Amino acid sequence: MRRSVDAAVVGGGSAGLAAALAMREAGLSVAIIERDPFLGGILLQCIHSGFGLHEFREDLTGPEYAERFVRPVMAAGIEVFLDATVMEITEEQGRKAVTAFSRKLGIVRLSARAVVLAMGCRERNRGNVAIAGTRPAGVFTAGLAQRLVNIEGCIPGRRAVIVGSGDIGLIMARRLTLVGCQVPAVVEIQPYPSGSVRNIVQCLNDFSIPLHLGHVVTRIEGKDRVEAVVVAPLENGLPANAKAFRVACDTVLLSVGLIPENELSRAAGVPINEATAGPRVDADLMTGVPGIFACGNVLHVHDLVDFVSEEARRCGSRVAACLRGEPREASVEVAPGANVRYVVPNECAPGRQNVLFLRPLVVKNDALLEVRVGTLLVKSRRMAHVQPSEMVRLSIEPGAIPQAGGGVAKKMEVSLR
Amino acid sequence: VSGAPASRAEFVCIACPMGCPLNIVVGSAGNVSVSGNRCPRGETYGQEELLSPRRIVTAVVPTDSADFPCAPVRTDVPLARALVPELLRDLCGRTVSLPVRVGQVLVQDFHGTRVMFTRTLPPDDVSPVGEAGSEPEGQDEVALL
Repeated sequence: MRRSVDAAVVGGGSAGLAAALAMREAGLSVAIIERDPFLGGILLQCIHSGFGLHEFREDLTGPEYAERFVRPVMAAGIEVFLDATVMEITEEQGRKAVTAFSRKLGIVRLSARAVVLAMGCRERNRGNVAIAGTRPAGVFTAGLAQRLVNIEGCIPGRRAVIVGSGDIGLIMARRLTLVGCQVPAVVEIQPYPSGSVRNIVQCLNDFSIPLHLGHVVTRIEGKDRVEAVVVAPLENGLPANAKAFRVACDTVLLSVGLIPENELSRAAGVPINEATAGPRVDADLMTGVPGIFACGNVLHVHDLVDFVSEEARRCGSRVAACLRGEPREASVEVAPGANVRYVVPNECAPGRQNVLFLRPLVVKNDALLEVRVGTLLVKSRRMAHVQPSEMVRLSIEPGAIPQAGGGVAKKMEVSLR
Repeated sequence: VSGAPASRAEFVCIACPMGCPLNIVVGSAGNVSVSGNRCPRGETYGQEELLSPRRIVTAVVPTDSADFPCAPVRTDVPLARALVPELLRDLCGRTVSLPVRVGQVLVQDFHGTRVMFTRTLPPDDVSPVGEAGSEPEGQDEVALL
């Protein structure tokens, strides 16, 4: 099957839905290709509440949030290919050719003027964190366990130790407890939790689940099935094995971070930013391959879906502007400065409103956020508290960045101190 | 003026992801004052957390469908924490028949909360699959997979 559209969106989760809607509203013809048999992505397995406070001023569950976007997408005449996996994105006479495999339709070829990457991210697993020990059944990533419990209707085990205190791990500690499983420990390598304080309170403290900060799982034991993990405190960066203790369990859930899923992007020649593991993008959220854009967790991992929707909408409207042939503005490079791991996007357009997301490198109270071009202070903001698990949203007003003079390349640096 | 504080408590507000640190002071007259909150919801949360902690409850209810074995549900307002296990036992003992719609009520009144579905099942977006709507523009290929 062949189709020709203005824009093809790869992925029908929160980013893909919001980007598709924005482009459709701007008058483009749009198709979404989604590998699951339904739209909504990971939101559908996040049955807990806490979504939509920015976007809708309401406290919604994941599925409710998803339906707020799926419905308008279906009503807007956006073509949706479900159960269809995109295999490659190539150039074809000045257009993009998106090739997907669909169970129902066979090979689907979309010819598009622009492509929006919205594939989201995947979970880091045991191999990524190198946990020693045997290789028994019962080791899952937290998100997979979430899918099993909330979508498939089965539990991964009876007694689960959770490695990592990311939000998904904390949410699963509560979820497993509520369905009758035991969670004897959550083990976090950092001296502070990687999830939000709110989730520590309502997911761990409410159920008296012990959180071991500054500890690591040094070994997984068990032949056919997990029988225990060995946990040791970190001292001077090394596990203190003399103080190690054993926690009996039949399941280990890993909540040890997310990685933007960019195999498709790489194969299409999209340059990747090492700090985010997502594409490097300009002020329009366009990648290094002209005509290919990116938004959501494939670009950088967000903490709040509300920010994903906002970013994706902005991406969609920039795609529309680019396809309308709006002249592209000279841009300023954006770079992370002191105590900042990354800033997205990697460029700013001085004539427009720019929204930047940055990820702090440090835990700090009463921090000062500064945006500078050379020695000139463009913006500063006092922040009561910053930590790596909380992304900072920063808006730069039109005209705030001085125009480049004399063709000198300019760099804008965002730092925390 | 209520005199010396009778007791103090510290909570982290969970009304939203901001997670404001709350300081609660109970005066000798029984009056509760909340500080540290950055919005009015923090005040309400602080009061309730001290007197009668409540939580929004979310869960899945078994369905009669093999394709969609779980229907997610929520309480419309927070439920007293002590009553959460009872509600969960009630919900997992049920089997609901599809279809269900988001917002449809499953339990009209459980101690003052209403339990409703949070997802439309089967989903409305299942049917089109790139077939309905627009006409094919190019010729269809025969796929041999």
